[in-house]
Amino acid sequence: MAKTGYFESMKRKKKMKNTLSNILLAIMVVLSLGPIVFMVMTSLMDHNAIATGKWIVPNRFSNYVEVFEKLPFGIYFRNSLIVCSCVMIVALVIATLAGYALARYKFPGSGFFGILILSTQMLPGMMFLLPLYLDFVKIKEATGIQLTNSIPGLVIIYSAFYVPFSIWIIRGFFASIPGELEEAARIDGCNKFSAFIKVMLPLAVPGIIATAIYIFLMAWDELLFAWVLLKDANVLTIPVGIRAFIAYTTARYDLLMAAGSVVTVPVLIMFFTMQKKFISGMTAGAVKG
Amino acid sequence: MDIQLKKSGIGVKEKKSSHLLYSIKQNLFAYAMLIPAFVAMLCIHFIPMMQGIYISFLNLNMMTMTKFLGAPFIGLRNYYEVLFNPDSLIRTGFWYALRNTGIYTFIVTFSTFALGIILAMLVNREFRGRGIVRTALLMPWVVPSYVVGIVWGFLWRQDSGMINIILHDWLHILSEKPYWLLGRNQIWAIIIPTIWRGLPLSMILMLAGLQSISPDYYEAADIDGANGWQKFWNITLPLLKPILAINVMFSLVSNIYSYNIVAMMFGNGAGIPGDWGDLLMTNIQRNSFQLWQFGPGAAALMIVMFFVLGIVALWYAFFKDDLVVK
Repeated sequence: MAKTGYFESMKRKKKMKNTLSNILLAIMVVLSLGPIVFMVMTSLMDHNAIATGKWIVPNRFSNYVEVFEKLPFGIYFRNSLIVCSCVMIVALVIATLAGYALARYKFPGSGFFGILILSTQMLPGMMFLLPLYLDFVKIKEATGIQLTNSIPGLVIIYSAFYVPFSIWIIRGFFASIPGELEEAARIDGCNKFSAFIKVMLPLAVPGIIATAIYIFLMAWDELLFAWVLLKDANVLTIPVGIRAFIAYTTARYDLLMAAGSVVTVPVLIMFFTMQKKFISGMTAGAVKG
Repeated sequence: MDIQLKKSGIGVKEKKSSHLLYSIKQNLFAYAMLIPAFVAMLCIHFIPMMQGIYISFLNLNMMTMTKFLGAPFIGLRNYYEVLFNPDSLIRTGFWYALRNTGIYTFIVTFSTFALGIILAMLVNREFRGRGIVRTALLMPWVVPSYVVGIVWGFLWRQDSGMINIILHDWLHILSEKPYWLLGRNQIWAIIIPTIWRGLPLSMILMLAGLQSISPDYYEAADIDGANGWQKFWNITLPLLKPILAINVMFSLVSNIYSYNIVAMMFGNGAGIPGDWGDLLMTNIQRNSFQLWQFGPGAAALMIVMFFVLGIVALWYAFFKDDLVVK
């Protein structure tokens, strides 16, 4: 008798705990989604209503049109796409080669190179930006090649800047592929490079895609370098464009929220189509340490 | 005897060096694969870094900018200017930024991982709609951080901001509407959005960690009659520690170098000296590229780097046993 009472109280306790957990989870979901929903809703509201904090029916799609008219948002969008795609390709190629070499071979200096890679992650980006900015100004004076205030300059910096971290992720993927596959290909008459291209590379595609998305997202979100290096409206990327809009005009939150919604959408699509692969890629590296 | 030993020593050395040469020759392919990455890192990371260190000893500002590395050498004057000179505005700004960054980094990193573990445990249960809930919780991570800065800057406004409307008008928690973007509250205005955006990543990492823990441990603990807390402290947390270790470090470093959210929220007005909304990176960026004080800027960066080095050393001492050497 006493025993069943004990189990019943345990059961009740467990049920209460479960309900409490659900309530907590529901609160967290609301807090997570709240600001995003708010952003999208405000982007559809009238400017004057927002300024006074009134709530009206969100039905003004004209804000989205106005964003592209008031700001040269189309140009910013194009610039950002060009920069991010170029950076993604360049950094990925460099990082794949290096990541493979580090994962597959143990050679004098491989440990040192690994430490070099990690050490770059501990340094502030400003530490490179400050001298690089002056270097670029000097290069312009000496050779006439325009690297400040130009998209190629930004692509060069970003590409090199994201290489170490990308190597770190890709190396993990290559390390998880059994090396015997490469040896088998070598026996079948491939040289080292063609064994890499024909056998190892196709196997690492999921990891490479995850890394590519990661690079793209980092470049899409980069403000500091772009803010310092770019000045003219026709070369600005989205973050700088929006920041300049805030800095030099009166706050039009309806337009800002519309712009925010527009830039979040490509990232959202990219993320949720690849969610599983991306997350497994991120966590694989993390769990392995 | 002595001579023999010496001889054999030399012999070993010779053998070793020829072995080194041999293994370098064997791995020429690997070196070739590393060349592009090495060149990229040399040009964009290491050469600028050396220049940066040198600049921190130069009187490099708007006037001497054209001379670049030929600017007058002034030794440690820049460091004095940043750290001690009582008349220098740069010094006041730097110390406040350092204080803010310290508070910011500590609170953000700690809360992100504490909340991340809680959230991961909540999501790790069996319940209906788990996939949708997980996806919903991941959403903040997808929002670019500069957008986070704009949206939260808007949410924090005093009179018409949504947060004050909810806390004051709807829930009546606050008796009056506080100014979030002025004074002391500024630091909360930047801490909370950073946690909001960082939480999904920490949740995913912790979730991966939780799922890698074998259920056998919990069954054994159940048999021994352990309660929930005991299981958490004695099983979950110790087994999460290796994952926590490496990610706490990345989180600490990236929060110290945090820039986007603050820069977007406060626009160009961020960081009047004494301001609670100024972080190290916004401060140094402003000194270097708006006041064109490159020398003090580089010196401040060097100081920050030494701080980070110290933190990494502390971290290493703390988590030493949990790091698996590969």
